[in-house]
Amino acid sequence: MADVSVPSLLLFIASIVIAAGVAGVLVDTVTGISGALDDRGADLSKEVRTDVEVISDEGTDVYDEGAGNLTVYVKNTGLRTVPSTVDAVDVLLDGRYQTSTSMYVVSGDDWAPGEVVQLSVTGLSLTTGDHHLTVIVDGDEEVFRFRHEA
Amino acid sequence: MGFGVSGATAIIFLGLLVGSVTLYTAADASFENVEEATGDRGERLLERRNVAINVTMAQFETNQGITLRVENTGSEPLSVNETTVLVNNSYRSTAGATVLGTSGTRTDLWLPGEVLEVTYDDQYAPTRLTVATAYGVAESTNVTVVS
Repeated sequence: MADVSVPSLLLFIASIVIAAGVAGVLVDTVTGISGALDDRGADLSKEVRTDVEVISDEGTDVYDEGAGNLTVYVKNTGLRTVPSTVDAVDVLLDGRYQTSTSMYVVSGDDWAPGEVVQLSVTGLSLTTGDHHLTVIVDGDEEVFRFRHEA
Repeated sequence: MGFGVSGATAIIFLGLLVGSVTLYTAADASFENVEEATGDRGERLLERRNVAINVTMAQFETNQGITLRVENTGSEPLSVNETTVLVNNSYRSTAGATVLGTSGTRTDLWLPGEVLEVTYDDQYAPTRLTVATAYGVAESTNVTVVS
C-alpha cells in the first residue's frame, strides 16, 4: 500500500506544482497584456480628444527676417488640456525638425480648450518663397503654409 | 493519480478564469474609454460644422483706434472669452469685448445672430485682423482705414 501511495503522492504534488506554474505564467502574461491594452486605450482616447489649429493669418508676415524668428499662434480646439511645453509639440519647418522652439500660453495659465499659445521658432534664415510649418501635438498634425517676401 | 489530474485541471481552469476576467475587464474599460472619446469628438465636430462667423467691420480711425465687429452667422452659441483676436499676427485679449444689444450686461455668451464688438486704442493702422472662435473657425480680413 505504502509503495503505491508514495509515487502517487509525488505525482500528485508534481502535477499540482506544474499546473500552478502554468496558471501563474498565464495570469502574469494576461495581466501584462491587460496593462498594455489599458495604456493603449488611454493613449488612443488622448489622441482622439486632442485637436489644435494654427490660427495665424497666412496674409501677414509671420516671419521676422531681422530677428530670424517665426511666430504663429496655435489654438487648442480639442477636448482636453495639453501641456504647454515644447516637449509636447513637434515642429517641422519645410520638413526639417526644429529644436530652437519656444511656446507659452498667451490667453491664460494652461493650454486648456479654447486657449492659445504663441509658438516661436528662432535662429532661422528663410529664403524668399513658399514655406510650410507643421505642428504635431499628440498625433494631431496641422500644416501652416505661408510665403516670405523680400 | 486521479486527484492529481483533477487538481491540476482545476488550477489551470482557475488560471484561465482569472486571466479571462482580467482581460475582459481591461478590454471593456479600454473600449469604453475610446468610444466615449470618439463620441465626444463627434459631438464637437458636429458643433464645429454649425459654427460660422462674418466680420462686418474691421476699421481703424485716427484717434479712435480699431473697431472690430463680428456676427455669429452660425447656429451654435459661442464663448466671448474663448474667442481670439490677432492684429497683424499679434495676440489681443477679448476681455473688453461686448455683445451688441445686451444693454451692457456682462456676458460670455455670443449667440447666433448677435454681433460681437471689440475695440483697441491703437495709434497706428494695422493691415490685417483675424478672429478665431473656440472651435478653430477663423476669419481674416483687411482693415479699412478711415481718416
